[in-house]
Amino acid sequence: MHRRSRHSMLHTGSSEDSDPAFTKLKNPATEGSSLYLFGRVDDSVYEVKAFTEEFRSWFIGQTVQRDGKLLIVTPIDPLFLLLPYIKSAATEGKFQPVKQMVMDEDYPGCTQLLQCEQGLDSIHHVADEKEVGSLKFHSYNQEKTMAWLKKKVQRTVTTLKKSNISVGGGVKSSTFVRVKQEADAREEDYLRYAHGLISEYISEDLSKDLLKHLQLPEISSPKETEPPSKKRKLSDKPVEAGEDYTKFNSSDFARKPPKKMTAAQKTLAKVDKTGMKSMASFFKVKQEKN
Amino acid sequence: MSANSCVTSFRLDSIKQADKPQVHLFPCEIEHDGPAEVSAFFTPTLKERKHEVSVSFRGRGMKGQELNCPQGYTGLVLKEVQKPASDQEDRIVKVSSVFHNFTYWNLETPPTSDDGVVMAMEWPMLAEAIHGPVDK
Amino acid sequence: MDLSDFEADNSVSCRLSSPIPEVCKTEDCCLGIDEAGRGPVLGPMVYGICFCPISKKEDMKNLKVADSKTLTEAHRDNLFLMLDEAKSFVGWALQILSPNTISTSMLQRANYNLNALSHDAAIDLVQFALDCGVQLKEVFVDTVGPAEKYQDKLSQRFPGIEVTVRPKADSLFPIVSAASICAKVARDHAVKSWKFAENLGEVDTDYGSGYPNDPKTKSWLLKYLNPVFGYPQFVRFSWSTAQTLLDSKAVPVHWDDDEEDGKKVSARQNNTSMLSYLSRNKPDELTHSRDTHRFFTERKLQSISNL
Repeated sequence: MHRRSRHSMLHTGSSEDSDPAFTKLKNPATEGSSLYLFGRVDDSVYEVKAFTEEFRSWFIGQTVQRDGKLLIVTPIDPLFLLLPYIKSAATEGKFQPVKQMVMDEDYPGCTQLLQCEQGLDSIHHVADEKEVGSLKFHSYNQEKTMAWLKKKVQRTVTTLKKSNISVGGGVKSSTFVRVKQEADAREEDYLRYAHGLISEYISEDLSKDLLKHLQLPEISSPKETEPPSKKRKLSDKPVEAGEDYTKFNSSDFARKPPKKMTAAQKTLAKVDKTGMKSMASFFKVKQEKN
Repeated sequence: MSANSCVTSFRLDSIKQADKPQVHLFPCEIEHDGPAEVSAFFTPTLKERKHEVSVSFRGRGMKGQELNCPQGYTGLVLKEVQKPASDQEDRIVKVSSVFHNFTYWNLETPPTSDDGVVMAMEWPMLAEAIHGPVDK
Repeated sequence: MDLSDFEADNSVSCRLSSPIPEVCKTEDCCLGIDEAGRGPVLGPMVYGICFCPISKKEDMKNLKVADSKTLTEAHRDNLFLMLDEAKSFVGWALQILSPNTISTSMLQRANYNLNALSHDAAIDLVQFALDCGVQLKEVFVDTVGPAEKYQDKLSQRFPGIEVTVRPKADSLFPIVSAASICAKVARDHAVKSWKFAENLGEVDTDYGSGYPNDPKTKSWLLKYLNPVFGYPQFVRFSWSTAQTLLDSKAVPVHWDDDEEDGKKVSARQNNTSMLSYLSRNKPDELTHSRDTHRFFTERKLQSISNL
């Protein structure tokens, strides 16, 4: 059970050291830099996703905030973030301490992942383990990894089936209301959808291996010949008269460069002594311990 | 050292001083950050009917709906305490406001469960499935 | 005139009407249509109809309601009282289009211009009279837009009724003058006693005529301009006077259907995105990146690398 509380997932720390912190880590799927948040209480790590729709601004109390982004901060399995390091350190039959594997000049924050309970405790899902004295040594194991990822997919499928998320072709009814189509969706649709979601957290190679492991035939890549599925699907949507469908997929467009300040903005800028950018976000609250 | 080593720490104890304002997500970009006479111009003109609220802003009709934060989640507004002098510096944010629901607005079209922001609220539930620990 | 129904919520449109004279339900009637407050940037636009038995046309002439524009406000109030005294054979109805309705209609995605708005208000009022049992045979209207087109539109909509659309109808046909009086009296009262929905404290009611070229109106518009919200709902945002002032004095606001050089901004941006998609699709394996899962793209969710 979750407790809805003003105290978010972390106890209000007394010293600065115990404050949670946003940190950049290597995104395991894109290998680019993405933002994560380290909590302090149970040493968990969170993923930061931004809901970004063009032409959105916030009104917060008696203020306007131009940036209409909404950050949704959700727990991420640290093993996803550790996996690329463990995998790339793999040498046939060689066991190493995890500490030696998880090092990254470009992302020094990655060592903090080793403090995450859920991370250390679950390395055995992707690696063989040897204990010598008080020291633990690990070696990447592809079969174990596939088994672990398959369980992830199955968990996801179970949740998808309970949800209203449409996993099929995304057919829309003419009344512009999403068709809840669990009944029509085939098992394979769920598996593919869940595989796609898990693939957001693993490398392309692992994603392909997992597809085989799930015994899902590879679909001849549609993106070579057609526009991305997102656009294809969106253009299928019936739109209201006089409405431009393009508004539905404006999320990834660059913002217009800010125009020159008007007189009014200058006046207001003077009034607003803080002048600091703020952002709205959701945070997971601390889980109640039973 | 790379800029990736910079962290933004998050003063959680500031939550005690945070206010609990009304929060609205508007269907337009307003080129302004700062004060607005919301209680004088906006709040008194809201019209509530069953599950839908309507209002106009700058002469455009909007239709809105209240959305709760996903179960177990709290809405926070973060504000930077001090602007860093360079991007090589750590930054600090504090919680300036707390909210448990907000109203999102569409330009003219009635709110539906297909609206992006409503669908985005499904993410925490799915994230729990993807990221929860698997059995041994 | 009792405007309390409108004043209860002056952000929406409202219909007011007199009781229907019994004689109008049994005898062939004529009906006049006129409007008040089409030009001003402030306050509502009022559409009025007035009707009476064709046999009573002479009596209408004797009321001397002609040409309301040349009359003073007090004079118009007086004439409205006279119409009220003739209620045994004269009926009226009004459609008050709130400035908020005008703004949101004219600025909505699907083009809805003022002429269409006016025509619809007039049609609704004639239909209202028919629904009340008035035996309509003749309708006289002051022109809105091209007279012929309007006449065709009304004739088609109301077969069996003889429609006359004529410029300056309010000075030619007493029944139109009477409709004009009703509309103008309502508009005068609505503007004078406007209840601001906004919490603006004591509001200066020296708006002038409400016409954009009136210096008093212009200075009022400047005084009550709010950099974020623009104006109270008393102002018609769709008027270029209001828009021009907002463009120069208020914070810029962008909507997804904004137009730039006659093209929708969102469409223009979509073009750019398609172009970048095409260039991405060139055989360059190195820049090939995986598409984000549609769960996230459909929800406008994306990973970020900076706060």
